[in-house]
Amino acid sequence: MIRSDIIRGHLDSIILKLIFEQDQYGYEISKQISERTNDRFQIKEATLYAVFQRLEKKELIESYLGSISHGGKRKYYRITTLGKAFLREAAEEWKETKEIIDLFMEGLD
Amino acid sequence: MKKINDHVEELFKDVSYSEETEAIKLEITQNLEEKVWDLMEQGKSEEDAINKAIVDFGDIGDLKQELGNKKTDKKDLTKLNLGFSIWGSLLIICLFIFINFYYTPHTIWFVYPTFCVLWWPLSMYFYWLRKN
Repeated sequence: MIRSDIIRGHLDSIILKLIFEQDQYGYEISKQISERTNDRFQIKEATLYAVFQRLEKKELIESYLGSISHGGKRKYYRITTLGKAFLREAAEEWKETKEIIDLFMEGLD
Repeated sequence: MKKINDHVEELFKDVSYSEETEAIKLEITQNLEEKVWDLMEQGKSEEDAINKAIVDFGDIGDLKQELGNKKTDKKDLTKLNLGFSIWGSLLIICLFIFINFYYTPHTIWFVYPTFCVLWWPLSMYFYWLRKN
C-alpha cells in the first residue's frame, strides 16, 4: 500500500469532495475511498471521525440525522457554503503543488 | 453486536464523558455495525466480519486529539478550586480561632479542627499540580 503521509495531508479535501458530490455518512465514505482507489488506499475509520470533527468545527460541513438502517439512525454530513469555497481553494492549491513537484519529478522513470 | 459496543466503550474509556463524545460513540457504533452487515452480505461469518471491522477501525489517537483541543478551550477549573479552597479554609480556621479565644481562652483546641480543614486545600493543591 502507498505511503500515506502525503495523502493524509489532503484527507480533509478528499472527504470534503465526497461530501460535496453527495451527502454522506461515515461508512459510505470509507467504502467509496477504497472502491475508487481499487483498495490502493484505505482510510482508517478512526481517522475519518477525527476529520469529521475537524471539518465540523471549522463549519465546512454540518450533520443531520437521516434514514434508519440496521439498528439506528445514520448521521449524514452535508457541505456548507464555506466548505464549497474551501474545496475550490484546496483544488486550486493542489494543482499548483502538483505542477511544482512535477517540475522536479518528471522524466525520472 | 455486543462485541462492537464493548470495543467502542474500550476505545473511549479514558475520554471524559460529554454529550458530544456520546454522540460520536453512537455514530461510530452505528457505522461499524453497518460495515459488519455489509461484510456479512459479502459472505463473511459474523465473527469474521466483526473482527475485520474492529481491526480496520484503527486507533483513535487523532480523534482524541480533536476532542482534546476543545477541552483546552474550556477554563481550567483546578486553579479556581485551589483558590476557593485556600480562602474558604482560611475563613473557617479564623472562625475556630475566634471561637476558641473568645469562649475558652485557657484551652487551645483550635489546632484540631484546623488540621481537619487543611485537607481541603491540600487535596486541591495536588489536583492542581497534576493538571499542570
